[in-house]
Amino acid sequence: MDASSQYLSTDRPDRADHLWRYTPWKRIHPTGRISEIPSEFSTPLITLKTLDGSALPSGISLTSGDTDSNELPMDEKITRRFLEAVTEESKFTLTVAPRFKSSAPIIIEISTGGIFCSAHICLDIGKLAELELVTVLRGNCDWFGMLRTGSTGEGAITSDVVVNRLENGRLLRVESISIPRDSQFKAGTVSSGSTITKADLRYRMFQPGGNLNVLGSILSAREMSLDHHIEIYHDSPETFSRLDWNSACGGSSRTVGTGMLRISKGSNGADAAQLFQNLLLSRDAQADSIPELEVSEHDVVGCGHGTASGPVDQEQMFYLESRGMSPNESKSTLIAAFLNSTLSEMGGETMHNWLVSELNSDLNELGD
Amino acid sequence: MASDDNPILEVKGLKVGIEGTSILKGIDLIIPKGEIHAIMGRNGSGKTTTANVIMGHPAYEIEDGEMFLDGESLQDMEPWERSREGVFLSFQYPQSVPGLQVGNFLRKSVSSVRGEEAARGSEFREKLTNAMEELDIPKSFLSRYVNDGFSGGEKKRFEILQLMLLQPRLAVLDETDSGLDIDGIRTVSKGINSAVRGTENGALIITHYSRILEHVNPDRVHIMIGGKIVASGGPSLANLLEDNGYDWLEEQVENGVDFE
Repeated sequence: MDASSQYLSTDRPDRADHLWRYTPWKRIHPTGRISEIPSEFSTPLITLKTLDGSALPSGISLTSGDTDSNELPMDEKITRRFLEAVTEESKFTLTVAPRFKSSAPIIIEISTGGIFCSAHICLDIGKLAELELVTVLRGNCDWFGMLRTGSTGEGAITSDVVVNRLENGRLLRVESISIPRDSQFKAGTVSSGSTITKADLRYRMFQPGGNLNVLGSILSAREMSLDHHIEIYHDSPETFSRLDWNSACGGSSRTVGTGMLRISKGSNGADAAQLFQNLLLSRDAQADSIPELEVSEHDVVGCGHGTASGPVDQEQMFYLESRGMSPNESKSTLIAAFLNSTLSEMGGETMHNWLVSELNSDLNELGD
Repeated sequence: MASDDNPILEVKGLKVGIEGTSILKGIDLIIPKGEIHAIMGRNGSGKTTTANVIMGHPAYEIEDGEMFLDGESLQDMEPWERSREGVFLSFQYPQSVPGLQVGNFLRKSVSSVRGEEAARGSEFREKLTNAMEELDIPKSFLSRYVNDGFSGGEKKRFEILQLMLLQPRLAVLDETDSGLDIDGIRTVSKGINSAVRGTENGALIITHYSRILEHVNPDRVHIMIGGKIVASGGPSLANLLEDNGYDWLEEQVENGVDFE
């Protein structure tokens, strides 16, 4: 059965489901008519380069054509199949050779355009590779769908940051990444673009020693609605995960962060925690965070979750103002600091400086 | 009105409350140029309120009285304006700001208070390096987040580092000695002395104990009880108080003893 037929034969999602509670499928589907698959999708312009402009090292390539990625058992069928159906002509594979190393972070620039635009990028990261990767989304299409699948290699150390800088429109982003033995994977999300975002990000540690850090720095302004759902699976002993998700919400925007942490039977020694923090910058801004746990193994190191929401702290404001910073400067500084506490963990200094420079104009808007 | 004869700080009949509770019940205080004064008092006597009110904390309500810095009224100034005019508060419990690196924070503070030029180039770096050396603060400190995970001693040293870089007209130091060991008190005192002694600036040290005063040697000591300054005198007043206690001092004040 082809991808389109598979989508059309998949049961429609239930709004009672954790994933669909806030942004139902109908709202993020390109036309809102969920029984159809529009045909007029364009392929974005995708380029691979280094962040500092130096020559691309050997051992890394981005090729178009068929991807080799298996559906994971926990993947959400409806969005996965829909995106597979609309990306048949826009598939890419990022291949990273075993033991690859780059002194500069690597950037995949995705420039979208047209009305509907989509891409499927498969990550094929080799054993013991060391890589900092930024995937940045730009452009002004009305709707962009991105499917990212694949796995890292054994013992690989990867920082994988996706930056949403779309000018407007809607973004559907679905990820399904497998993390094998002794692999360290940092999955960062920086989002300050698109009017509506629905992201479904899933990571599975299926061999011992997997180590995962999921980090979010989310800025929502005006009337944005940014909904991120993160699922982390500990499916093997001695695995480690942390989820730290910081959202700053201004204007009449809304952010949603839902987390599902699943520790399967037999994953003894698992160590997991998730924390969602929201900074509310205006009376009309809304933030919803729902971390959930499903623990089927009793022999775990730790398994915790938490959430905190509130306005800018007035005592912190007083501290900064007592150092000569005006109320606006103090507020902007505190918002930047709040987002930076996750941003700075996403990669090394070069990547961090680049991420900060990307976000500066949006930070100023939120601070006003 | 500002003139060369004005003291750095003049507080006249200051009465302050918070949420309907009166805390300061009429404070009068004058700190002339180049002098260091100390306020001692029991917990709850109004010492920290005095410090916060001088800095302009918005939670407090001024019921009566006035405050002047170099003859200029502080009353209508916001905290950031007071800071730019030369008021500095070393906090008893400084706020932590995760995500804000110490180096960036110092540069922003110096730029705000002393102008962009002062926060740029080799002169700033040299001042920073010297001050950090004087306070035994390692370079790695600059990449940490402001007060995030700092020990009590690190927080106090960091406050004094800011004092040394911002070079205020008036430094108000709220229990800077609490939580410090002997070496820490000595180091921090060195920082206070180097920021004030030999200059026309002034300082107000708020403390429970006379230990820090042995290293700073204040020009005047004031005792605060129940929201009022009940006694003032030379540095020996601190030792008298520590030897005999507040009950004794209250008794002396009631009997009309003058500690001048």
